Amino acid sequence: MSKENKIDTVFNRLKTENKTAFIPFISIGDPDIDTSLEIAKTLIKNGADIIELGFPFSDPMADGKVIQKSYERALKRKISMEDAFSFIKKLKAYRDIPVILFTYYNPVFVLGEKFAEGAKNAGIDGILVVDLPPEESAELTRSIQDKNIYQIYLIAPTTGNERMKRILSYAKGFVYYVSVTGVTGARKGLPETIKSKVKEIKEISSIPVGVGFGISSKEQARDIGKCADAVIIGSKIIQFIEDDINDKPAIIRRIAEFSFDIKSNL
Amino acid sequence: MQLPDNNGHFGEYGGRYISETLMPAVIELEQFYKKIRNDKEFIKEFNYYLKNYVGRPSPLYFAKRLSDIYKSDIFLKREDLNHTGAHKINNTIGQALLAVKMGKRRIIAETGAGQHGVATATVCALFNLECEVFMGKKDVERQKQNVFRMELLGAKVNPVESGSQTLKDAMNEALRDWITNIKTTYYMIGTVAGPHPYPLIVRDFQSVIGKEVLKQLKKLPDILIACVGGGSNAIGLFYPFFKYPQVKMYGVEAGGCGIETGMHAASISGGAPGVLHGNKTYLLQDEFGRIADAHSIAAGLDYPGIGPEHSYFADKKRIIFASVTDDEAVWAFQKLCRLEGIIPALESSHAVAYLEKIKKEIKGKTVVINLSGRGDKDMHTISEYLSSNTNKKL
Ligand SMILES: Cc1ncc(COP(=O)(O)O)c(C=O)c1O
Repeated sequence: MSKENKIDTVFNRLKTENKTAFIPFISIGDPDIDTSLEIAKTLIKNGADIIELGFPFSDPMADGKVIQKSYERALKRKISMEDAFSFIKKLKAYRDIPVILFTYYNPVFVLGEKFAEGAKNAGIDGILVVDLPPEESAELTRSIQDKNIYQIYLIAPTTGNERMKRILSYAKGFVYYVSVTGVTGARKGLPETIKSKVKEIKEISSIPVGVGFGISSKEQARDIGKCADAVIIGSKIIQFIEDDINDKPAIIRRIAEFSFDIKSNL
Repeated sequence: MQLPDNNGHFGEYGGRYISETLMPAVIELEQFYKKIRNDKEFIKEFNYYLKNYVGRPSPLYFAKRLSDIYKSDIFLKREDLNHTGAHKINNTIGQALLAVKMGKRRIIAETGAGQHGVATATVCALFNLECEVFMGKKDVERQKQNVFRMELLGAKVNPVESGSQTLKDAMNEALRDWITNIKTTYYMIGTVAGPHPYPLIVRDFQSVIGKEVLKQLKKLPDILIACVGGGSNAIGLFYPFFKYPQVKMYGVEAGGCGIETGMHAASISGGAPGVLHGNKTYLLQDEFGRIADAHSIAAGLDYPGIGPEHSYFADKKRIIFASVTDDEAVWAFQKLCRLEGIIPALESSHAVAYLEKIKKEIKGKTVVINLSGRGDKDMHTISEYLSSNTNKKL
C-alpha cells in the first residue's frame, strides 16, 4: 500500500516526541448532530491526537450507564450510518486527524459491502467493533483490507498470553487494552494489573498500546501515559454532556478545559 | 454435517459475537462442557434430578376432545406438569450441575415471563448457589407473581430500566454483569441463543423432551408443533426428530397484533439476519441495524431474536415458521381450558392456536404439540385482556 495510514503517522510522530496520544471518545449525535460536531472540534482544538466516534446502538451491551444514556439521547433522532459518514467528512474537512469509528457489529453487518465503501469515502482510518472478536472478523477484514482502514482489536484483563499473541498477530495501528474487567464508565481507582499487562503486550509486539475504560482524571492519565502509547477517555467526557444538557456553551467550555488538562499531562 | 461446527456456527448463523473480556470465559465454558458432555456420571446425575426433582418423564397426553374437533390424533407433551411449571427447569438443572462442576457459586440469569428466572432461582436454592435475575421493568410489572416466587426462593431480582424494559434489555444487563464479574459468575442463559456453546448446551438439556416423545409415542408422529421465543422448547422437541425427514415441524412465533402492524415478536416471519447477544440470527431490526422492540401478549415470546439453529433450519425449510396473533393465542388458551381442563401458558397457547391454521393438513394425522408451560402465571394478563376485549371471551 502506497499511502500510510494516519494512525501510524500519529504514533510515529508522538514516539519521536516521547509523548502519549490522547484519544477522546464521544457519540455521534449526542446531544444532537451539530453539537456533537462542535464537541469533536473542541476536542481536536484542545489536544486530541486521534478521535474515537461511537455510532449509537440500541443495545450497547458492553457499555456502562453514561454511554448507554448518551446513545439513548442520540437515538431520539434516527441516525443512519450515512449520517455518521457525513459527520466524519465534515470533521475531516475541519482537521484531518485520524478517526476511529466505534460500533457494535449489527449496523455494520446489515450494510454489507456498502459499509467499507462508505467508510473509505468518509475518510475513516480505523474501526473498532466491540462485539466482533478476531474469530468472527473474516468478513469485515476482507471488506476493508484494500481500503487502508485498520481494524482495531481489544485485549482484556481476562485475555491469556496465548490468545494475546494471536490477537497481536492481527493487530494494526494500535491495540486497545481494556483496563478493567467490566463495562465502560469512569472509575476512581484503576487496577494495578494495567502496567504488567501492558508490559506483557510490549514483550510480544512493538505495536502501540492504547489503554481505555475507566480513566477519568489527569493523574490517572499521566500515570498510564508512563507505560502506554495512548490514553482513551470516553465516559468522563460524555458525563459533561449529561451534566449540562441544557447549557451547550458550558458543555463545550468544560470539555475544552478537561481535554487541555489531559493533553498537558501526557 | 455436525451442527454446530467447531466454532459454534450453524451454517452462517450462531458463532460468538461478544466483547474480548467475555471470550476467554466462553471458550473455557466450551472446553469444560465438551469434556463433561458425554461423561456417564454427569449424565446420571442430570437424569437423577430430572426424574426425582422435576418429575420426568412428563406425560404425553392424548387430547381426546381436541382430537375429535380436528379429526386427528393430537398429543400434548405436558411440560406444564414439570416442577416450576414449564420446560425451563430441564435446562437450569443441567446448567446448575455444570456451574457447580466449574466451581462457580454465583449465578445470573435473564428472564422475560419469569419462568426461566423461577427455574434458575429454584436450582440455585437446590444447589445452594447465589442467584441474581435480571428482568425488564415492564415484565416485572406484568409478571409480579413470578417476581415474588423468585424472591421466595432466595434470588435477587434486578428490574432493568434501559431500552424497551423487556427481555432483550434484561439480557443486555445480564451480559454487563457477566463482563464485570466474570471470574466468579456463571451466566445461565434460558434459551438456545447467545454465544456458542450456549445454543448447544441448552439444546442438549432440552432434548429430553423429544427423546421422551419418541419412546412414549412408539411410532413417528406426522407433525410437531411448538411455540418459539428463543426456541428452547421447540428445539427440545424437534432435535431428536431431525433425522426423520417424514416428520414435519412447525415453529410458531408470536404474531402480536399482526405481522403487518410491526407490533410482533416474529423474528423469522418478520425479521432479517443480524447480530445480537452473541450470535448471528434472524432479528427484528430497522433498516439501520438497530434492534426493534418486540411485542407479544406472552412475555416469554417477547424477544426480537431467535436461536441460530432455528434460523439455519428456517432457511433450509426443515422447520416451517409461522405466527399466530395475540387474539388467536387467547382464543386457543380458552379453548384448551374448556376442552381438556388444562390451563396452558400463553406462550404454549400459540402452538395450540396453530392447529386452527392447518386444520385441513392435520386431518387423520398424528400431531404432537409441546405444551411448554402452564398458565398460572398468566391469570392477571388474561383477565385484563378479557375484561378490555369482552367480545373475545368464549
Ligand atoms: C411456558 C413457556 N414457553 C415458551 C417460552 C419461550 O421460550 P423458548 O422459545 O426458549 O422455549 C417461555 C419463555 O419464557 C415459556 O415460559
